[in-house]
Amino acid sequence: MQASQTVLERRYAALGLLLIAPTVLVFCAVIVYPLVSAIYLSLFSIFTPTLQGEWVGLDNYRTLLAKDEFWSSLVNNLIWTVGTLTLQILLGVGMALVLHQNIWFRSLARSLILFPYFISTVVAVLVWKWLFNDLYGILNHLMLAVGMIDMPVDYLGTMPNAMISVILVGAWKFFPFVVIAVLARLQTIPDALYEAARIDGAGPIARFFDVTLPQLRDVLVVIIMLRAIWDFKEFDMIYLLTGGGPITSTQTLPLLVYKEAFALNQMGMAAAYAVVMMLIMLVFMIVYIRRTRQEADT
Amino acid sequence: MAHTRWTGPGMTRRTALGGLAAASAMAGLPRAARAQTAPLRWWSPQSSPAQAAAYEFQIEAFKAATGIDVVFERTSDEGYAPQLAAAFSSGEVPDVVTHLPSFAAQTYYANGLLEPFNDVIEAIGTEKYYEGANNVFLAEDGNYCATGIGNSAANMLWVRRDLMAEAGIDKIPETWDELRNAVSAMQKGGIYGAPLPYGVNSMTSLIFIGFIHQAGGQVFTPDLQVNLDNEGTRNALEFYKEMREYCPPGATNYSWGESLTAFVSGATATGIYTGRVLINVNDQNPPLADHITCATYPRMSTDIAPWTFNDFASVFIPAQSQNKEAAKQFAAFLFDPPGYIRQLHAAPGHVLPILRTISENPEYQDNAIIQKYSSEVDLMAASAANGFNLGYESPEHQSNSKAGEIIGSNIISEMVGRVVLNGDNVDEALSDASQAIEAIMAS
Repeated sequence: MQASQTVLERRYAALGLLLIAPTVLVFCAVIVYPLVSAIYLSLFSIFTPTLQGEWVGLDNYRTLLAKDEFWSSLVNNLIWTVGTLTLQILLGVGMALVLHQNIWFRSLARSLILFPYFISTVVAVLVWKWLFNDLYGILNHLMLAVGMIDMPVDYLGTMPNAMISVILVGAWKFFPFVVIAVLARLQTIPDALYEAARIDGAGPIARFFDVTLPQLRDVLVVIIMLRAIWDFKEFDMIYLLTGGGPITSTQTLPLLVYKEAFALNQMGMAAAYAVVMMLIMLVFMIVYIRRTRQEADT
Repeated sequence: MAHTRWTGPGMTRRTALGGLAAASAMAGLPRAARAQTAPLRWWSPQSSPAQAAAYEFQIEAFKAATGIDVVFERTSDEGYAPQLAAAFSSGEVPDVVTHLPSFAAQTYYANGLLEPFNDVIEAIGTEKYYEGANNVFLAEDGNYCATGIGNSAANMLWVRRDLMAEAGIDKIPETWDELRNAVSAMQKGGIYGAPLPYGVNSMTSLIFIGFIHQAGGQVFTPDLQVNLDNEGTRNALEFYKEMREYCPPGATNYSWGESLTAFVSGATATGIYTGRVLINVNDQNPPLADHITCATYPRMSTDIAPWTFNDFASVFIPAQSQNKEAAKQFAAFLFDPPGYIRQLHAAPGHVLPILRTISENPEYQDNAIIQKYSSEVDLMAASAANGFNLGYESPEHQSNSKAGEIIGSNIISEMVGRVVLNGDNVDEALSDASQAIEAIMAS
């Protein structure tokens, strides 16, 4: 009896392995292989167009850590990520609360609010660049017309305007994601909780902080984690808006990776930057998840 | 005239027959039409609607003559370097690339990425070129890495005579002092003086290299030692910084498109560009058409010779192309007069012919823009013929196969930005840029 069970268990185990094998293979192909490949590339000095190079060990890492450009790009990356994420959360939660109310055209408004998230980044950036344009942009035109400014504002070519503009456009583009997730959670909060709070004399602000926000905690943890990862590695929007300029003032690490790989043709160094970027994100995520777990436990 | 299915839209039977004859004349090039399976891929950063239409005409004519399909794919002046780097590294290369600067071709060839072009030049006919037209494409191994598809005078000073008259300026500026005074006088009523680029991009690098030479400096010595830190560069940086107040606020991010649009739209009193200004002004802002003219860009003093930036727009074939022989046939076919003239007419004065036989061709001269602005076109042609770029800084300079990498790295434009926009120390910016260029030269 024992022996037949063991055989059955072995067969089940083999079947399990067989069934999980495609997933493992796909995981290895799309996650493990590129990761190992990037780490491997980062140990070489490689000329991008020919992919020829030589072993340099950890030299790429020593070089990048000694470079001011790496640290300034990291700081830019953090400013961008924190700035745009904060605005996305504030705008997203605020808009979700509005759309949760019984307002006119709620369904239409819920659909329209998703528009920035669905629109192609290239199109969105083109539209914003025209709005920001110093000579023909509507923003400068209106501000000049009402006498707010004497000269057109250079939104994308000077600091801190460029960073602020990039952060604002990022918040506009990505806050609908927060709206969708928060709105879905808001609709599942039991009304009984609000009724009990009202009976206890809680006003709208108290109800938000004591009922709504605690109920949103789990979904906000997930949103912040996902959006932080996506914002940290955001490339196309920043690249198209400012190209990292003026000079390198809005250059984030993904733009630096691109610059090393395709402008300076240093694929090995670019891979080293990418690996360091991944490690930074990993550290942030571990710290963030641990802290949110600790807070939830207490 | 009705078009048959055989000739296709926009092409006459006569043209198709001419194309067939031209293709047949390429006796030196093996026929590869039957072996070809995938269409040839043709990349170019020059793709205005009129140019794209001219390319389609050439593609149709080539297909009619050889049966070979070609697809045109756009790239851009700022985007070609990373796109080609990715293409070369992945092996997914275009078969023919046109309109990239000569120094880009030299850089790729030096890294073994391009096919020698000698037989294509032979097929086009060496006797048809202007004398020495292909010297800039001569590689160290004695082969030609590419050939020119057109010349351009990319840093011409464009001015509006109406604004000059209003400001009491009776002479087109020849020196920096005259230019500064002129743009200062013309900057009023929402019109800025000049659309100089200050972004970290290739235009800023290429235009600023012109300023270095217009101050009597140079980036390299003739034997290609880095010589960026010289009096000319320092004077150029100082003047470029002074000019910032006469440029629109957004010039901090200007590249070719923005700079051109600023002048064509009338937002700036002067411009710095190729002859594309002519067709764009006539098409997009006709009221300015009778007021514009051009001159070589001013220099620090009249003792210094003008320095015109000619990118020596090229045609080359990547070595990894799977259809090399068909690509060579097509590359040679691009110079077939009906198609080549149509291509040049798509942006008259912008891309200037490198074949003497085309310049002399009455069909080429038969163009309203070329006739209306004949003195401007002649000046650009003469300036471009004596033009230079970073890969060929002067007749004394060796060919610099690293020039493409230096431009692609944006080292020079970043130096300009640091000094002009950030107010960084000139010594430090020059030292950093020199070291970065030396590193590329040593790689």
